[in-house]
Amino acid sequence: MAQMILKMILNGKPVERRISPGDTLLDVLRGDLGLSGTKKGCGRGECGACTVIMNGKAVNSCIVPAPRAMNARIETIEGIGTVEKLHPLQETFIHCGAIQCGFCTPGMIMSAKALLDKNSNPTREEIKEAVAGNICRCTGYVKIEEAIMMAAEMIKRERRK
Amino acid sequence: MKKPAVIGKNVRKLDALEKAMGTATFTTDISLPGMLYGKVLRSPYPHAKIINIDTGKAEKLPGVEAVVCYKNTPRVKFNTSATSTFTIPPLEPVEDQYIFDSVVRYVGDEVAAVAAVSEKIAEQALKLIEVEYEELPAVFDPLEAMEPGAPDLHGPCRAGKNIPGEKIHLELGDIEKGFAEADEIFEHTFKLPVQKQAQMETQAAVAQVTADGRVTVWSTTQTPHPSRRIIATIFGLPYSKVRVLNPPYIGGGFGVRIGLSAKAEPIAVALAMQAKKPVKVVYSRREDFIASDTRHSGYVTVKTGVKKDGTFTARQMEGILNAGAYCSWSAETPGVLGAMGLSVYRCPNQMYDGHSVYTNTTPAGAMRGFGNPQAMFAIESQIDIIAEKLGIDPLEIRLKNIMQPGDKWVLPYPCRSSGLAECIKKGAAAINWQRRGKFDKTGTKRRGLGVGIGTHVSNAWPFCGDYSNAYVTIQQDGSAHLAAGVPDMGTGTVTTLAQITAEVLGISYEKIGVTFADTESTPFEIGSHASRTCYASGMAVVAAARDAKKQILDYAAEMLEVEAGDLDIENDTVVSTSNPEIKAPLSEVAVQAHLKGRQFIGVGKIIPENAPPWLAHFAEVEVDTETGQVKILKMVAAHDVGKAIHPQIVEGQLHGGLAQGIGYALGEEIKYNDKGRQLNDGFHKYMLPTAVDIPELKAIIVEAEEPSHPYGVKGVGETGLVATAPAIANAIYNAIGVRFFELPITAEKVYRALKE
Amino acid sequence: MLKDYVRAQTVDEVLAALQKGDARVIAGGTDLILDLQAEKVSAEILVDINSIDDLQNIELVDGQIRIGAAVTHQQAAESQLVLDSAPVLAEACRSVGSLQIRNTGTVVGNVINAQPAADAAVALVALGAVAEIKTENGTAYQPVEDLYTGVGKSKIDSTKQLVTAVQFPALLPNQGSAFIRLAQRGALALPVLNVAVVASLVNHKVEWVRIVMAPVAPRPLRAVEAENMLRGREVNEQNILEAAKAAAARANPRDSALRGSGQYRKSVLETLVKRGLSEAFNKAQG
Repeated sequence: MAQMILKMILNGKPVERRISPGDTLLDVLRGDLGLSGTKKGCGRGECGACTVIMNGKAVNSCIVPAPRAMNARIETIEGIGTVEKLHPLQETFIHCGAIQCGFCTPGMIMSAKALLDKNSNPTREEIKEAVAGNICRCTGYVKIEEAIMMAAEMIKRERRK
Repeated sequence: MKKPAVIGKNVRKLDALEKAMGTATFTTDISLPGMLYGKVLRSPYPHAKIINIDTGKAEKLPGVEAVVCYKNTPRVKFNTSATSTFTIPPLEPVEDQYIFDSVVRYVGDEVAAVAAVSEKIAEQALKLIEVEYEELPAVFDPLEAMEPGAPDLHGPCRAGKNIPGEKIHLELGDIEKGFAEADEIFEHTFKLPVQKQAQMETQAAVAQVTADGRVTVWSTTQTPHPSRRIIATIFGLPYSKVRVLNPPYIGGGFGVRIGLSAKAEPIAVALAMQAKKPVKVVYSRREDFIASDTRHSGYVTVKTGVKKDGTFTARQMEGILNAGAYCSWSAETPGVLGAMGLSVYRCPNQMYDGHSVYTNTTPAGAMRGFGNPQAMFAIESQIDIIAEKLGIDPLEIRLKNIMQPGDKWVLPYPCRSSGLAECIKKGAAAINWQRRGKFDKTGTKRRGLGVGIGTHVSNAWPFCGDYSNAYVTIQQDGSAHLAAGVPDMGTGTVTTLAQITAEVLGISYEKIGVTFADTESTPFEIGSHASRTCYASGMAVVAAARDAKKQILDYAAEMLEVEAGDLDIENDTVVSTSNPEIKAPLSEVAVQAHLKGRQFIGVGKIIPENAPPWLAHFAEVEVDTETGQVKILKMVAAHDVGKAIHPQIVEGQLHGGLAQGIGYALGEEIKYNDKGRQLNDGFHKYMLPTAVDIPELKAIIVEAEEPSHPYGVKGVGETGLVATAPAIANAIYNAIGVRFFELPITAEKVYRALKE
Repeated sequence: MLKDYVRAQTVDEVLAALQKGDARVIAGGTDLILDLQAEKVSAEILVDINSIDDLQNIELVDGQIRIGAAVTHQQAAESQLVLDSAPVLAEACRSVGSLQIRNTGTVVGNVINAQPAADAAVALVALGAVAEIKTENGTAYQPVEDLYTGVGKSKIDSTKQLVTAVQFPALLPNQGSAFIRLAQRGALALPVLNVAVVASLVNHKVEWVRIVMAPVAPRPLRAVEAENMLRGREVNEQNILEAAKAAAARANPRDSALRGSGQYRKSVLETLVKRGLSEAFNKAQG
């Protein structure tokens, strides 16, 4: 099979990888790049566990052809916070008890981040709409939505400083 | 009793940081040097004999390193569920499966498997396996499967045509007398659908076999120790040479892997043995839907005798469940259905008969609630029918009849606590129950309120064997390490067990380290199921920590020259209770002990009792009479959980249960076509709720004192969906005056009923 | 087996690449990727059109709204132009799958995929949209409504042709629209039924109306009798009810084990058309 070189800005850093034209973005992230935080829940764009942010937008990486990520800015769960400085969403997901089994969490946080990057003052309905493509079977979504609301508040407070 | 230092507090969950950062390891994340990828060939027929199977072409495909089928794998029968570990004589576990058989019994049944250097090559190889089938007659409905002409799925069965295990019979009082005393008798039959656990991580296992034959399996199992037993038995190995562990996280469970993760573990081991390399088997989402246990569908009949004042004189139940093609938990589930169904209300005369029936469908096994949601949809729907007929408010008839501590019931352990009345009252207040009956009934959007109540268990005893063990080791710096074999599938088990350890020892929560879900480094433990971990595993942890504490205090007594009975540990400090001036940091005690060659190791070994958690669910719905659509506006769940060790975790369990209960009520169902093919085989076709489908959920925690547990804990994991569906069905009745005897209550069913 | 993936920068590059053997256009690919994996469709070369600047725009040209072939559902749903002048399309796009799907799948792809109940396509038919089709031989225009040859089958051959845009007249102040959808849950669900209505009123009378229903036929179905019936009539409840009845009578939904019986869909359809007409007329009067 033909091979091609994929170049992208992954979590703020340029990376280059050899890929096959039939690879999905998820294959490349979880495979060669070793970024296993992004999960595969269905492989069909039906659950959101593989959500990453591509050029500012939440997408299901399991159905994005990897070659399309050429020169794109890709953000994954590994790139948004550090132990020393967690992303506000990571902090509030922990604080609010929004994490149970944790398998949907990376995708859920990435969908939420894509929302808050554009809208730091979302309503509950806007939050629901933003994460409706992320299935969670553990939490009933309540504490997830609370965590996203709280993260929005944190982000606003930080901006005011 | 001392004021608790750690329990009852929402401490930071031990697994949360890794999960929030995406660094938590799940089975699907494991990669080992030289690891191969396994894929499974599945039957396209619901029932067929394999006349011939030719794997030659697949074996020759470059990159393929192992191909297995019934011809080259052990002919040892087993049960994928942990029943082989749990079943206590004189009952015998039903072992009716091989890894691969020459007969396939449902669409999706395992035919062969391949291990190759990539998933793509493994998939290509599957297409090269040539199988010649002879189709056999198939049956899909449990009632039809009991008919004389139906095909026998597993030959003659002791208990009756196609009936796995034993028929269950429960009895209390004199049922005939009870009905004779009744003023009115009500009898209804309810039909229940196939619900799917649909946990986010599909079934998965990675197997590694060393040159000297030791087997390690990382997997998604909820019960590593019982799974080890199954694997060791299949492959004829000593338990001591098989290690089963979680890596350590599991992407949900809800009962789907109490025992093996479907067949991921034995298939991975069989391939790894042949290839002599590690093999990873991860089910696709479709495989997870069609070839991994579901909730039992079936029929529940309830007959109730009642006095005019609403006092129950007799209740008789029958449960006939669809086992699917293999037994899994089908011998046990009917028992829990009956036992739970009969234990909510006092009634002097009760009887239950139930069993499962094999059919050519996906095996049914354990799912959150384990028969109880099926029972309570029937019972709680009928209670409302009775209440209406007798002109009694639904809350009143419930409050009048609910089980009280000390009451006689069918269960072989006593009812020692109940906060159910408080649950009903608090829940009613939160949903604003007095609005019931006052909604406008003229428009096309009709509102209604409904209630459903129930109970459950706090572990599996006495339905199954159940015990737990734990070690607590005091480290040389005064921190403590807990080793417990129980997995944490997202339910917060490890956090709550660490809290309990810290509480008993007087050590900071932050200083507790935990090893869990690993057969090689933890003592035997039944596992995560039956709402048991905080209650039963918790008891073992309390016992281990108390043992360790006693050793510490005995040693500290020598060191401080006081009586051990006068010492306690608070805030990481050993302190005299009579003279607080006499004290020593635990770290110093531990170092001193170390220098003298003394190690404190606590061992906890317990057989749990059991205790009933209680619950009352309330639903407010709005029905669109022109389309039949039901919108849930609000749900309230008031639960007596005993002591809530971590209230936030408890709320999370309740919210999650409610969401699954909402799905069970309104949309979730796996249907089959007439060829036995599962129609709802992915998230897009299986209508579990998304964020926009979940209304406001309110969880109310009630803490009745439960004397059977050192901290008064009761089970909570499963209770969140026990009475959700009947609460919703009763609210729909309240809104539109139509009673549903079948789940899920889809828009089409509502619409049709309104038109009739 | 896929051998190459070409990210075309111009329309000409696409057309040239399609000449090279077993090539196929890919836009969002939300369905195509799955079809390729399932080997329902095969291609050696995929020609990705997402980096072509000209295809990424939503523009108003001479009273026509033009939606480029690389415009995603979410772009259309959020576009102020679409929200103002074709709200039925914005609403339809917003109801597709999930945000992730809407951020990837395209409006034009929704048409070419040729599923009869594809939400955006249903709205486009109601808007009277026309597709701009390019081949090596030139440009042709065809109504979206006429592009269907069967369930999942489009006249557009993505191995030879490229639809560069769809376009339709922007709604005028005396015109209104509605999109009504019945689904089994609030997201990640195909419609049980969807209805798009676009109406033009003059002096409280119906100048014209387009009613499109799905999935009740192998294509988004125009309720032609109902449309004709309403022309020139007063906007009142009686007329709306009659038209809704006539619309539903034309529909022939199939039984779906997953999404409901044909009978149920046919009876509820009347309610949805009624709701759609009322809303569209209200907006036109507003």
